[in-house]
Amino acid sequence: MADDVTQPELALEANRLTKRYGALTAIEDITFKVGPGEIVGFLGPNGAGKSTTLRILAGRLLATSGRATIWGESVALEPAKAKQHLAYMPENNPLPEDLRIREYLELRARLKGVEEDQVELRVDQSMHDCDLQGRAGMLIAHLSKGFRQRVGIADALLAEPKIILLDEPTIGLDPHQILGIRDLLRSLRGKMAVLISSHILAEVEQVCDRVIILNRGRIVAQGRTDELRRDLLPSRGHRVVAACTLAELERLTRAMDTQSTCREVRMVGDGWCEFRITLSPDSAARDQLLSSLVSAGLRVREVAEEQAGLEDIFLAATRRDNREVRT
Amino acid sequence: MRSFRVLLLHELRSTWLSWTTWATWALFLSLLGIIHWYAILACSRTPMPWTPTEAVFRWFPLPLLCILPLLTMRSLAEERRAGTLGALLTTPASALAVVTAKFTSVWLTWVIFWISFAIFPVAAAHALGASTDPRILDGVTLGGGIAFIALSGLLHVSIGMLCGSRTRSPGLAALMTFICLLGLTVSGGLLDALPSDGWEWLGWLKEPADHLRTVGHLEDFASGIIDSQPVVLYLTGCALCLGLTVLAIETAD
Repeated sequence: MADDVTQPELALEANRLTKRYGALTAIEDITFKVGPGEIVGFLGPNGAGKSTTLRILAGRLLATSGRATIWGESVALEPAKAKQHLAYMPENNPLPEDLRIREYLELRARLKGVEEDQVELRVDQSMHDCDLQGRAGMLIAHLSKGFRQRVGIADALLAEPKIILLDEPTIGLDPHQILGIRDLLRSLRGKMAVLISSHILAEVEQVCDRVIILNRGRIVAQGRTDELRRDLLPSRGHRVVAACTLAELERLTRAMDTQSTCREVRMVGDGWCEFRITLSPDSAARDQLLSSLVSAGLRVREVAEEQAGLEDIFLAATRRDNREVRT
Repeated sequence: MRSFRVLLLHELRSTWLSWTTWATWALFLSLLGIIHWYAILACSRTPMPWTPTEAVFRWFPLPLLCILPLLTMRSLAEERRAGTLGALLTTPASALAVVTAKFTSVWLTWVIFWISFAIFPVAAAHALGASTDPRILDGVTLGGGIAFIALSGLLHVSIGMLCGSRTRSPGLAALMTFICLLGLTVSGGLLDALPSDGWEWLGWLKEPADHLRTVGHLEDFASGIIDSQPVVLYLTGCALCLGLTVLAIETAD
């Protein structure tokens, strides 16, 4: 636990990180920054290189080239100093089975440099934050997957690090536990920088300030969700419910501009038809849709713009990259 | 230094709270107790040129090969298998602190095992009373032998640590340790046992192998002769093995 008089501009910086295993390139030219107190989501399909990057940042793996910096300290050159500012919860969170929760957390607190007179206090606080108080005396071997994850997160919070790296922190948790962890992570905003690798996109979307998307070992997109939505999914989807036949719908689509496409068409009863239409980014497209519906003499029950979620952004980013690789 | 102290206390606690340590200790004492008992019986029938305690120390390679691998196999290989070693190294504790703490814990346990052997000569002297041969207790041999085991244990335990750092399987780590210790213990004597005709080409190995005569070193120590060569051998061997172990742990995936 280090108290710094001056706070660096960046909590964490990865600069052109590359890791090769012989001919296989696990990650290539990974460059990103995380500011103090920022919560950043780290997304990517299986094998994209998320865990490799986190392990390099945590000092558990040496990069083939590039530089990783934690709170201004080089991970490769000053690992002990860098680790003082860092907590890392690896995927699957391996724990010693023969220790009790409190014993384990006390050991970890001491190893992380928590002052002896603060150990008990910090362990109690971390257990409280992760809702583990009632189980302090339980053997880790007897814990469920969800509680093991909580022990891992409690461990990460112990020494009040500047940066926390969490690799799939909510894997195996039930919805109540996920909500608890989500609230906990939100409470860290502004206090600690958090980099979360997760497959649960909804969770990342709700918690993170920014996202970084990896595919095939490279960063394919990074930024705030709204920025990525604008860049990657400029076309806007709308859900329309109108009283029309399929033939009328076809005529309507032809009357619209060529970029507009109807999909997921289904009759919902009493002559009402529900469909989704993607409009060009041009703001006049929505006005044109409304006027086309009216001029066709159709009764309209609903026209709603659909916000592209992180899942759509993630798919768009990875598909675009896959297409580029193929061409 | 704080990491080393915290880890050492944790390792000692884990070791002595584990039933396997107590079972290994019981096995060790049973083995030495039986050897000591038969040595006393042999001495009581015919006057022998050695004391029962000396006889036990001559059998030193047996507990070394059978018991020590059981102590070293858990410390690194087991943690690598469970993935907890990697988690340990994400803390500011260095690989050197982790390795030396685990090494010291096993070494202390090994020395405590041997110190506990002293109960047999003491119990035998007490049970047989004042009429018995004073050599039955044989404090010089006992002290010298345990001092040698503490010194040679530095190298023997560090070999076990090195073997444990190369595999995730505790069983394989024990087997590798057994083979290495067997090679180290018998290599010196083996060359002496070769017939002189037809094996001259191995003559150049005689001198280096002479330095590895573990049982010879033990006999010297037990009789109060302290030669600096084995001291240097065991200390430098230990430093080399621990250095390689630290490198292996730092680069382990």
